[in-house]
Amino acid sequence: MNKNKVTTMAAKKLSLKEKYSLLTRDLDWEFSYQDRKDAFPMEEFEGIKITDWSKWEDPFRLTMDAYWKYQAEKEKKLYAILDAFAQNNGHLNVSDPRYVNAIKLFLTGISPQEYQAHQGFAHIGRQYGGVGARIACQMQSIDELRHVQTQVHAMSQFNKYFDGFQSWSNMQDRVWYLSVPTSFFHDARSAGPFEFLVAIGFSFEYVLTNLLFVPFMSGAAYNGDMATVTFGFSAQSDEARHMTLGLEVIKFLLEQHEDNVPIVQKWIDKWFWRGTRLLTLVGMMMDYMLPNKVMSWKEAWEVYFEEAGGALFKDLARYGITMPKYAALVEKEKEHISHQAWWTFYTHGHATGFHTWIPTDEELDWLSEKYPETFDKYYRPRWEMAKKLEAEGKRFYTKALPQLCTTCQIPMLFTEMDDPTQIAYRDTVYNGDRYHFCSDGCKDIFHDEPEKYVQSWLPVHQILQGNCGGPGVEQVLSDYYHFNVGADNMDMKGSPDEKRWKQWKGVA
Amino acid sequence: MTYEVTIEPTGDVIEVEEGQTILDAALRQGVWLPFACGHGTCATCKCQVVEGDVEIGNASPFALMDMEREEGKILACCAIPESDLVIEADIDVDPDFAGYPVQDYRATVREIRDLSPTIKGIVFDLDGEMAFQAGQYINLQLPGVEGSRAFSLANKPSDNTRMELHVRLVPGGAGTTYLHEQLNVGDTIDASGPYGQFFTRKSDTKDVIFIAGGSGLSSPQAMILEMIEEGDQRQIYLFQGARNVAELYNRELFEELASTHENFHYIPALNAPEPGDDWQGFTGFVHDAANSYFDGRFDGHKAYLCGPPPMIDAAITTLMQGRLFERDIHMERFYTAADGGEESTRSALFKRI
Ligand SMILES: Cc1cc2nc3c(=O)[nH]c(=O)nc-3n(C[C@H](O)[C@H](O)[C@H](O)COP(=O)(O)OP(=O)(O)OC[C@H]3O[C@@H](n4cnc5c(N)ncnc54)[C@H](O)[C@@H]3O)c2cc1C
Ligand code: FES
Ligand SMILES: [Fe+2]
Ligand SMILES: [Fe+2]
Ligand SMILES: [Zn+2]
Repeated sequence: MNKNKVTTMAAKKLSLKEKYSLLTRDLDWEFSYQDRKDAFPMEEFEGIKITDWSKWEDPFRLTMDAYWKYQAEKEKKLYAILDAFAQNNGHLNVSDPRYVNAIKLFLTGISPQEYQAHQGFAHIGRQYGGVGARIACQMQSIDELRHVQTQVHAMSQFNKYFDGFQSWSNMQDRVWYLSVPTSFFHDARSAGPFEFLVAIGFSFEYVLTNLLFVPFMSGAAYNGDMATVTFGFSAQSDEARHMTLGLEVIKFLLEQHEDNVPIVQKWIDKWFWRGTRLLTLVGMMMDYMLPNKVMSWKEAWEVYFEEAGGALFKDLARYGITMPKYAALVEKEKEHISHQAWWTFYTHGHATGFHTWIPTDEELDWLSEKYPETFDKYYRPRWEMAKKLEAEGKRFYTKALPQLCTTCQIPMLFTEMDDPTQIAYRDTVYNGDRYHFCSDGCKDIFHDEPEKYVQSWLPVHQILQGNCGGPGVEQVLSDYYHFNVGADNMDMKGSPDEKRWKQWKGVA
Repeated sequence: MTYEVTIEPTGDVIEVEEGQTILDAALRQGVWLPFACGHGTCATCKCQVVEGDVEIGNASPFALMDMEREEGKILACCAIPESDLVIEADIDVDPDFAGYPVQDYRATVREIRDLSPTIKGIVFDLDGEMAFQAGQYINLQLPGVEGSRAFSLANKPSDNTRMELHVRLVPGGAGTTYLHEQLNVGDTIDASGPYGQFFTRKSDTKDVIFIAGGSGLSSPQAMILEMIEEGDQRQIYLFQGARNVAELYNRELFEELASTHENFHYIPALNAPEPGDDWQGFTGFVHDAANSYFDGRFDGHKAYLCGPPPMIDAAITTLMQGRLFERDIHMERFYTAADGGEESTRSALFKRI
């Protein structure tokens, strides 16, 4: 007990807050001969009203010198571990070669989005009238660049030994399923600066990020992939700043003007829906692609959204913000989407840049246990049928090109939630053309900004229009996607990946 | 076994149970520390250990790097105390916080008065002068009662050798039962203080709203008496909530102040007036009284809330819907052991709310 201690602050050295304000506010200047509106031309067109930038509370106070010092230290540590991983043939320690397909999906689906995040934050870091927000975005921009670099380096070890890693940067813009994350970021980056920050900083990084990172990082740890675990921790240590920035922007916008409330609500509805659609890929990875499972998608959704997000939206209610529009629907979807997605990839496995497979019997039992309401009833029978066909030597691939949702660009694979045997289709006619959607959520988003989404670059349309080479799918895959056809795609069984693994491990 | 952790620069003191993390203990005891992930990966909760031993726990090597471990940095969300501790967190000291030293006092009962059927006013003489800010509280050590009990000071700081408390009897509560039933004039009690971050923000110039529920009139009374004593010219509104007329204590004091000071406005609200009360004033909850008085708009004010946690919660919602936000809302929640901390997950959206 030391109750008599005097608790006032000792003689003034600069507090972090003061240092940070020297770095930010005091870097700004009054405009004497230019109109501020010309300097920040994007600040108003979204309808957001900012009355007082001085109310922006710097969500973290990191000075530039400390920033470089910390980041350098992180890099040193990370690359020491990656070097050791390479020297010790770390790729041989993964649980099962099927696991590597999860990180093929990460490298081609997620890492390029780190780069888009870098570009997006660099752009908006120029657009705000408030200097605190500008600096925060610039730092995040540099972080995101570091993330993509470390991820590419971490996975380069796998590229030496496994198929499917070689043309990720080319694939991200072109491949049918990779247009899902890519177009998500294109949508955000082509929005105004405030929508971008609500989309990426808040809805994605704050509300949904745990559903992306925790499954991949724990998945890596459970499956013996130290390289991914390490870059994951390294990236997560920057995430604090990103999350607090996402939270600050929400508070700031909601407090600045009441007219901002409905705009922010609309953006939350939109980006929550788009985010959960995107996370379908993660759900499928967790339930089907990890040989050693961490938890089911459904469990992850319950812990990281229903519990943690529930607490957040309870607090946001004080600002007049309500739960995202389709949250109740997503609660039903958690029982279904991972199964529907992996089935789609399995049946289009000739056109995917990673391998697909039928779950083992043990895995089927695990899925039955984790999804008692739905798996045995709707999904297990399909796999039993696929098993039978495979045993007869008739592993099948669906040759038709899937129809894509105009908004999220996911194939029409989701069902009505009240009738999981019925694929959900929505459509609308705009300026004489018909557009198709996977859901009411995606249709709503289109309707709000049709002029934006009619410009969507839909991979299947592009193939059909002859813009992706051809004439056949085979040529699109090899010449346009740069797949090594026959090696990168098709079933895990009989793949070169599998053969090499057996050789390394000395099994027949 | 519990350890006492002092959090600088505010000087807040929390009790941390064996095996409990510092962050968990702090949030449960109403002390805000920065945090985000809650599991050692993001480094938002990084603190400096000034004194004592800590188990670092499951901190990621990237969120807490080797060089930082050597400097005595910890992540509050994973760190578990192994002795009493002093830590320094990245939190702001309010510029209006005077940081008066916490000291131990012997307090002798001078007067005990029934303020209402459930609330007693107890006045003590102190064995020394106590410097405190109006709004702060003290801890009492009561004979036969384990641990200390918190009560807000109801006297103004210029009465610095006295201590006036408004104590509501908590059914089944050890300390308040002792104070209500066993304490006599002339008895001596150990007290320590002042504590807390609830005090008048004198550097602020906005008009002031007080919302008080039950014995939560204590702090606002001290704050208002001091403002009036100092000739403060801001508009001051006191909303006092009680069940019925018998519970509406010190009403005459504030009616008198309202009639002699043009800038002071007194609005009592009863949520369950008795038939015999002949109540002409506002009937309903105290936050609704404020809402109807201000027509749902609170921006441009400073608000101070004091009393039971559910009342504070309702008042915050009302104020925020009326566009007054965290930076202008200050509160003291009268937690008791029955409130047991929030069990549910907490979001990082608010610091103090
Ligand atoms: C900062 C602060 C300032 C305060 N100021 C004032 C003030 O000015 N005036 C005022 O009247 N009050 C004030 N309070 C509230 C006051 O401190 C409590 O009412 C008091 O501590 C109760 O003590 P007690 O010993 O009577 O009750 P306790 O014995 O602590 O029990 C309180 C209640 O919890 C129940 N309980 C006990 N242990 C548990 C348990 N483990 N789990 C569940 N329930 C349990 C009891 O049955 C009882 O109903 C303040 C509180 C705080 C935090
Ligand atoms: S490390 Fe994230 S809150 Fe502690
Ligand atoms: Fe990132
Ligand atoms: Fe990020
Ligand atoms: Zn869609």
